[in-house]
Amino acid sequence: MANLKEIRNRISSVGSTMQITSAMKMVSAAKLKKAQDAITAMRPYSEKLTELLQNLSATLDSDSGSKYSDQREVNKVLVVAITSNRGLAGAFNSNIIKEARRLVDGSFAGKQVDFITLGKKGNDILKKTGKVVENNNAIFDDLSYDATAEIAEKLMELFSNGSYDKIMVIYNHFKNAATQIVTTEQFLPILPPEASETKSTGDYIFEPSKEEIVEGLIPKSLKTQLFKGLRDSVASEHGARMTAMHKATDNATELRDALKLQYNKARQASITNEILEIVGGAEALAG
Amino acid sequence: MYLEIVTPEASLVSGEVESVTVPGVEGEFQMLNNHAPIVSLLSAGKVKFKGNPTIAEGFKSKFKQEGDKWIFEINGGTLEMSNNKVIVLAD
Repeated sequence: MANLKEIRNRISSVGSTMQITSAMKMVSAAKLKKAQDAITAMRPYSEKLTELLQNLSATLDSDSGSKYSDQREVNKVLVVAITSNRGLAGAFNSNIIKEARRLVDGSFAGKQVDFITLGKKGNDILKKTGKVVENNNAIFDDLSYDATAEIAEKLMELFSNGSYDKIMVIYNHFKNAATQIVTTEQFLPILPPEASETKSTGDYIFEPSKEEIVEGLIPKSLKTQLFKGLRDSVASEHGARMTAMHKATDNATELRDALKLQYNKARQASITNEILEIVGGAEALAG
Repeated sequence: MYLEIVTPEASLVSGEVESVTVPGVEGEFQMLNNHAPIVSLLSAGKVKFKGNPTIAEGFKSKFKQEGDKWIFEINGGTLEMSNNKVIVLAD
């Protein structure tokens, strides 16, 4: 039986770990709420924009031939991996890295695949195996549309000047606090809008022309797409961390209970031992 | 007519207004009640509206009042008006 002091030390160390994990869980829960609200707040904008773009491009007669919809033979691929700056979030970051590797070895095997990483954790690992052309950790400090727009513009530039033939984005899609879905989206070239039931736009006035409006809307829609990916990723991160920390707290509770039981057994055994010794001593004196 | 101003970060304004003036890429124009349906790109400039719609809490400082008009600066955007409802997507 381990001695009492040893067990006591372990109990207190498990206890302080538990305090940390449960505090982290609480912090994540609060941040998750904020991040979820942020996702909801951008929904009206992105929905309206998508609707406009779909309606307009559906009524355009020919393919607009935008420089962003140019389908080229794919030789050079850029993968934008959105991870987090901090760990202790379960499989949140490793899922993204796994998906990135799957793209390199699977879908784009034999092609040149470069990375842009948003988030420190993804950068730390991907730079060991692949070529990371750029990394940005600061974006998560204060996630704003303007900062996102800058990155999106850079991506558009890289595509339109021919540096890359295809740009993919990998991020954790936020489903609910316990579920994150690793999502791979094609960022550029833009996919033709899905055929949807289109409202008649016949009696609208267009200023400038329809084509020019579509041209103007595409960059906005791309920026919004990236922004949505980032917001989703942030919410997913907090959700994943909350779940991971919840499990860690549960495990620590279990461990502490087991140790307490062991401690009490050991204590009882030592008391019994002492009594036996005293009784034995007294009997020896009496005899 | 009903006005909504939304940005990617939040919905800023919603409510009834009398008139809206926006900086279209081909020049500033004003819309009154029952304006014909229009879709337009906006350039950087001022969106002005007359009336008292609800302005989201925390964003009031971005709106200036000048006479009986509210003024909001945008860096560009898109506008759709149909059925007496104006939606400004501001960047």
